[in-house]
Amino acid sequence: MGTCKKEHQWFLDRRTFLKTTGAGVVGVALGSLPFESFTMKEAKAAAAKAGEKAVPTFCAMCGPAANCGVYAFVRDGRFTKVAGMKESPANLGAVCPKGQAAPQWVYSPDRLKYPMRRVGAKGEGRFQQIAWGDAIGLIADTLKKQKEKYGPESLGILSPARRTYSEYLYRFLMSHGSPNYGHSGICAMQMGFTFTYTVGDWPRTVDYGNSDLILVWGKQPIYSGPAQDGVRAYVDAKARGAKLIAIKPSVEPDVGLADEWVPIRPGTDAALALAMLNVVVNENLIDKSFVEQWCYGYDQLKEHVQKYPPSWAEKITGVPADRIAGIARLFATTKRAGIDLGNGVEHVPSSNDAIRAVAILISITGHLDRPGGNVFGAASKMPRLKSVHLRERYTQEWVEKLVYPEFPRAFQPALEGTSSAYYGLFDSVLTGKPYPVRTIIAPGTQALASTRGSKRVMEALKKLDFYVVADVARTADMPYADVVIPLATPYEIDHPFEVRGNWIMARNKVIEPLYSSKSMFEFLCDLGVEMGYGSDFWGGSMKASQNDQLAPLGMTIDELRNHPTGIIYEMLPRKYENYEATFKRKSPRMSGAPFLPQGKVAIYNTSFKEAGYNPLPEWKEPPESITGTPELTKRYPLILSDYHTSNVYTASWQRNVPYLREIHPYPTLHIHPDAAGPRGINSGDWVRVESPHGWMKVKAELYPGIRPDTVMVLHGWWQGCKELGFEDFPLLDGGANVNNMYSVEAAKAFDPVVTAMSSQTLVQVSKA
Amino acid sequence: MSTQYGFSFAKDRCVQCYGCEVACKSWRDGEGGVRWRRVSNIWYGRYPQVRSASVSVSCMHCVDPQCAKTCPVKAITKREEDGIVAVDRDKCIGCKTCVKSCPFGAPQFGADGKMQKCDLCLSQTDLSKESPPCAETCPTKALAVSKMDAKEKVSTERDIKRLLAG
Repeated sequence: MGTCKKEHQWFLDRRTFLKTTGAGVVGVALGSLPFESFTMKEAKAAAAKAGEKAVPTFCAMCGPAANCGVYAFVRDGRFTKVAGMKESPANLGAVCPKGQAAPQWVYSPDRLKYPMRRVGAKGEGRFQQIAWGDAIGLIADTLKKQKEKYGPESLGILSPARRTYSEYLYRFLMSHGSPNYGHSGICAMQMGFTFTYTVGDWPRTVDYGNSDLILVWGKQPIYSGPAQDGVRAYVDAKARGAKLIAIKPSVEPDVGLADEWVPIRPGTDAALALAMLNVVVNENLIDKSFVEQWCYGYDQLKEHVQKYPPSWAEKITGVPADRIAGIARLFATTKRAGIDLGNGVEHVPSSNDAIRAVAILISITGHLDRPGGNVFGAASKMPRLKSVHLRERYTQEWVEKLVYPEFPRAFQPALEGTSSAYYGLFDSVLTGKPYPVRTIIAPGTQALASTRGSKRVMEALKKLDFYVVADVARTADMPYADVVIPLATPYEIDHPFEVRGNWIMARNKVIEPLYSSKSMFEFLCDLGVEMGYGSDFWGGSMKASQNDQLAPLGMTIDELRNHPTGIIYEMLPRKYENYEATFKRKSPRMSGAPFLPQGKVAIYNTSFKEAGYNPLPEWKEPPESITGTPELTKRYPLILSDYHTSNVYTASWQRNVPYLREIHPYPTLHIHPDAAGPRGINSGDWVRVESPHGWMKVKAELYPGIRPDTVMVLHGWWQGCKELGFEDFPLLDGGANVNNMYSVEAAKAFDPVVTAMSSQTLVQVSKA
Repeated sequence: MSTQYGFSFAKDRCVQCYGCEVACKSWRDGEGGVRWRRVSNIWYGRYPQVRSASVSVSCMHCVDPQCAKTCPVKAITKREEDGIVAVDRDKCIGCKTCVKSCPFGAPQFGADGKMQKCDLCLSQTDLSKESPPCAETCPTKALAVSKMDAKEKVSTERDIKRLLAG
């Protein structure tokens, strides 16, 4: 039978985070706050009863689609607890564990307390405390000198997870004159770009409420935003009897809820999609009238996919050929069906191919913007707010100056603006080509943990002229910073308002900023004013900034604040089949040309062809793989990939939050018992994982729900937890940083169109 | 008593987010290393036909609590008025007999060596009007507290036992 029960193992250092509830009969506890999900009225009543204050605001513990509504409880000026806001359409009163643990993050001993300037060598981590004004002055002086000497493009700003302040980061770049917003090449925009240039928009939402079949593909639907509507939709669809098929290398709770698991090798989704196209085309399972009326290049596709039969894909993906054919047929012939495509396809050199192939599959089978299928966004009656981006300043020269375009120059600016690849900023420092960036600002992001090729990133950090780290707590990169800016958490500031779908709410300050911290917005405004860009930065006033943006709503921020749980705008009724308008949409590139030159789904992509790229999706191997580099498999027989998200951690932070760290205390390698057994590895053993590029030491967990040829670990492991006695891990070899394990070879590790960076390699695993 | 309060758990709605476990900890100022509520993953089958299920369990406040039966100093009692199983920590001698008799892993021990566990937030919450934080925080309403008769209650206990067994 071979069942395997997971024991919940409890590894805790004896110096645990202690808090007793007092002696005597259980039932007398601190706080005496009742239940946890409130309306405004209930929250205030509960708070009053307990001698506390309840502040409506937003959770800040995940992202990018953050902004669940919460009530933050405050006792004697201290943030104590988090309750869900029932009025928020985002979470309807629910709160995930990260949101619950927010006070521990706010009061972490890792908080950056004051601005600092580096006094030791880069990497030593020796700093001297300086005043806020001096820190701003130091950064401004450097930027002014470099702008004069090297041009404004010598400044790059790294993109954190998408935040509201992302647009302010862009604004600073616009004022300064640099196109170099260093966006990840790992996330979201790879799909945004590829979908828009294939079907005119990004139909990221599957119409779960009306669907009978959903392929949940390379996606983790729960971990980012567990309290939000995507999770409710998933669970409700299952309850309604929809069929859920999960396509990914390992089993997570969403797979547990699904009807079928398709265990696919990491990085091979493009091959699967191409083979599915082969079946659909050869068996003529298409929506003929949609293809005739709304698709360009179907005949070329028909010929093109002949070289991708399921038997070919089986060798690469590890999914049996008849299963591939079965899924293709089921999807094509189920009327109300969609593909919920996730971030997993944004971490491969075949990223644009995979996304294009899936977009084409959705389209030719008649599931695009149809009930139960992949639908274009729904609108509400909320007026469009004024953007802070200053897009009107983009010029062709701007595009030419990009140091390492995240997307080809012919397609810049991209959806979020001009962007250089995040990793590319560091690469330019090392190669000097086409020019080296001289200052990089790292706002809420940790390059050594979050992008790939950690060894090269560290070399670049040592060589980089000037590095500014602006964050809430100490980061992996901080020892290499020249200036460190201490940021307040979103719980310590009253700006900005947030919009989530059809809901807008003012942000309220829960507690005063701790130490000498200020918000990211205040940092950028202060720096902007110091640089002489004050007219672009509202004279430094966030109030003025918010009022400016809110003007189309006909209210000021003070007036919005009078609606303590915000305003919900009515949704417009959803219409399906918006082909005419969508396929005419103009792209944000300089030419302003439509995404789709033919006004139809670009199966055969003439825009890509003109720019020198393949007009049809193809297959490209990851830098190391079983089928691509079989000569490596003797020494490195297993595939390594990583999880992008986790149920209790966000990205590469939060390892220092005790309530969360207690749940998953160690970086854990999921390894199938059949792979662990011959290696003498048991659950709980520390193991050495070695790739051609580096090695790491992590704890093994024998995991029945993973391909036996694959091992996986969560990314972002570096930070210790002081309260629980956990030390930091090394960032390079011998640590737990999976991004140290992958290739960053220019010709092999990047998608040629969307610079997606490969997160697959081959490894050997042995007891440490 | 005929009606008593208890947890019901809908495994087809649980997404293993751990919200309930941390809500309990945070709202009851939980001690590090002590888990009044415990979320876990249960495996079934063998690759590639592997399935999994998510479980969240605290104390089931059983109709017939074995912990109360086996406690040598009678520190554990089931309250008449609401069916909540409570421990008198002044009486508890920390012998851990209850650990062996509980099928749900409910008894927990912290720094003081006395048994502590979920008490259905009896001092915090008017269960006739409100739900405790664990149920309230759940994004999918997989976890709920309600009044049940003994038969329903035993059924919920059986469901969890079955889930935990794999």
